[in-house]
Amino acid sequence: MSSISTQIKHLLAIAICGTLFAASGGNAEDAGNLYNTRFDINAGLKYFERQCSRCHGFDAKGNDETGAPDLTGRLSRASSDVGIFNIIRTGVPGTAMLPVAADLPDSQVWQLVAYIGSLSTDPANIDLPGSVVAGARLFANKGDCNSCHMIDGQGGRLGPDLSRIGERRNPEELLTDILDPHQEVAPRWWTMRVTDSEGITREGLRMNEDSFSLRIMDAESNLWSYPKRQLASIERVEESTMPSYTQILSDSEVDDLVAYLFSLRKEN
Amino acid sequence: MNRSIALLAPLCLGLGLTLPVFAQEDEFQTVITPAFSPVTWERLINAEDEPENWMMYSGTLDSQRYSRLDQIDKSNVAELEMKWSYQIPVIDRAETVPTVVDGIMFITEAPSNLTAVDARTGRVYWRYDHELPDDLRICCGRNNRGVAILGETLFMSTLDAHLVAIDARTGNVLWDTEVADYEAGYSKTAAPLIVKDKVVTGIAGGEFGIRGFIDAYDPASGELEWRTYAIPGSGEPGNDSWSGDSWKTGGAATWLTGSYDPDLNLIYWGTGNPGPDWNGDVRLGDNLYSDSALALDGDTGEIAWHFQFTPHDVHDYDSIQVPILADIEYQGSTRKVMMWANRNAFFYTIDRVTGEFLEGDAYASQTWAQGLDPNGRPIRVPGMAPTYEGILVSPPIVGATNWYSPGYSQQTGLFYVTSFDGEQEFFKRDEDYEEGERFTGGGGRYNQPMDAFHSSIRAINPATAQIEWEFPIMPRSSAGITTTAGGIVFTGSADGYFFALDAATGEELWHISLGARVHAAPMTYAVDGKQFVTIASGNVVYTFGLKDN
Repeated sequence: MSSISTQIKHLLAIAICGTLFAASGGNAEDAGNLYNTRFDINAGLKYFERQCSRCHGFDAKGNDETGAPDLTGRLSRASSDVGIFNIIRTGVPGTAMLPVAADLPDSQVWQLVAYIGSLSTDPANIDLPGSVVAGARLFANKGDCNSCHMIDGQGGRLGPDLSRIGERRNPEELLTDILDPHQEVAPRWWTMRVTDSEGITREGLRMNEDSFSLRIMDAESNLWSYPKRQLASIERVEESTMPSYTQILSDSEVDDLVAYLFSLRKEN
Repeated sequence: MNRSIALLAPLCLGLGLTLPVFAQEDEFQTVITPAFSPVTWERLINAEDEPENWMMYSGTLDSQRYSRLDQIDKSNVAELEMKWSYQIPVIDRAETVPTVVDGIMFITEAPSNLTAVDARTGRVYWRYDHELPDDLRICCGRNNRGVAILGETLFMSTLDAHLVAIDARTGNVLWDTEVADYEAGYSKTAAPLIVKDKVVTGIAGGEFGIRGFIDAYDPASGELEWRTYAIPGSGEPGNDSWSGDSWKTGGAATWLTGSYDPDLNLIYWGTGNPGPDWNGDVRLGDNLYSDSALALDGDTGEIAWHFQFTPHDVHDYDSIQVPILADIEYQGSTRKVMMWANRNAFFYTIDRVTGEFLEGDAYASQTWAQGLDPNGRPIRVPGMAPTYEGILVSPPIVGATNWYSPGYSQQTGLFYVTSFDGEQEFFKRDEDYEEGERFTGGGGRYNQPMDAFHSSIRAINPATAQIEWEFPIMPRSSAGITTTAGGIVFTGSADGYFFALDAATGEELWHISLGARVHAAPMTYAVDGKQFVTIASGNVVYTFGLKDN
């Protein structure tokens, strides 16, 4: 299994170099990024940590408090290097995203673009060992993943919709999700166990919790909303309800499942 | 005449009487006489005697945010209903605390605009749009927190580091003074403070290697009267607390509003982090007067005393909190104190005459200090400075609290603060100073979801520095607090609630979902004998009152 991460790093390096040689000269409207060597990416990282991390986070994963988006997956406002360049250069009107200093050379903006580009994984540059077709079969059959997860409107409601999971998670992260689902659990998928003033206890996924109220979905997909002050007890389990697949699938089957999940994108 | 009506309100409310009703049939005809009369210094000194008005950022010069209005009390607060809302036209984050004078409300808006509305209806009198350059150097969003008023003039900070004077009747600009060069990283977001015949104001830019200062301006001309640097210059006492020339880019911004004691003629003001924030290697020493409370002479700005909360800070624990002044019973005698819940997770009670440390203790989760020594200086836990690889420290960069106003109740004698128990991985980076560029030397990263941390409103006894009660909220809140003679603590939360707690017990009395983050402090006022409570949530200013009978 560890071979996946080594392969990805190797392929990423090839991809970075490949893009360098493929880039052509020109302006911001029509050219690729000329500044995307390892040196440039590192320079972009330094600029990012200094100028951008206050809002976007040191890991570029965004910040709900500042409203700054996660930059490590698919970007909602730009689909190309040029688009990213223009956002950095001009900002996003009506948001806290300000333009960079007017006297910042284009070359430095491109280095920043290269760094942001390095945070997401381009599927075209990844050759995974598993089989997408076999992974799709495992998802529906042996893995029984679709009893909890939905893809394109088909499946269960007890886990995240995976229709476009390949845009948000890279293969390494997907591997971790499958083998160690408790390692990173979004609060939406924590479990709440509540007992009301009449002694009735219900358990469900934590759809939303705030200072004064709580909403859960139980195993039968029933939705419940409670004012906290009317509850006798509230218990929160900050773990995933998903089992680890270490003992359920073989190494090669996990590779297949990763390949399938990573293929799930909008264009498919 | 309006002034005389206004003065009746506190008397009647204090006696629990109902005020005469002024032409209630049509709300647009209730003003028999013109609204608004000039705000003299005498009115500002005695602001608590006219609680129908909220004439400065923190309500009164002592910044207690305690209102004598008691029409809304514990018995009827659950009946509050929305009276009006005002939609701020520029979409951004509202951190404004409105000012109300004789029925007119002044609302600052992002990025640096100002609107005057009828405080009974929310309908606009005038609006001022401040023209800004498009290459601002700001660390943390386009915010403005409020205005100061003297006579018929409003004073407002702007993001391009200007101080503008605006005619309160028309919105016309009277003068526009550049306080500092925005291209060098200076900016302004806080409400100024009127001290006698001067406009006192601070500066932001602590993440850009500025050198912080506190200024006083002539309200008539906009001329600078005095400037006190928050970092001593070469040859001045304290300058040797910085290695080499690091003092020149040492930060110590003064980006919030201070307080004033007329009897002592002392201005109290907090200072921010030393720069670069997270790399202390390049600025060895205590770094005076960063992360400090400064007491300044009200006429000259001369520093009377200082108290440094976090010497040689490497975690961005700004002492940018509003100082609350009160006279409390302490160990058998009445003491003039300043109360301070610091971003570094410690609460302090300090003698505001001398700067002597009286009491202090942690009020929120922290791992960086073993405690405070008898002088209030932190006893550091070794090895908690940021590293290149990252080190986990509590509180996180945002602190156990931050700029959002705490409150104090004269009824309970308790201090109230919005607090956060969190932790974060701190990183150090090597950076060279470049004018106008960020100069922070690192950053931070959360390793858990925000919902995994604990947030609460905490009530602290200033005589013991111990927590009396706490009310849990979620997630991390940046809402301020206001207390009233009705026995209530009003505040909000990041999940979009506005709510009222019993000031004595912390029991919830009322809440309403406003749907967007509360990023400001509430304030209360009265017009025509009716008490209102106002809070900004998201991009909207909401005003609540009791049902009309």
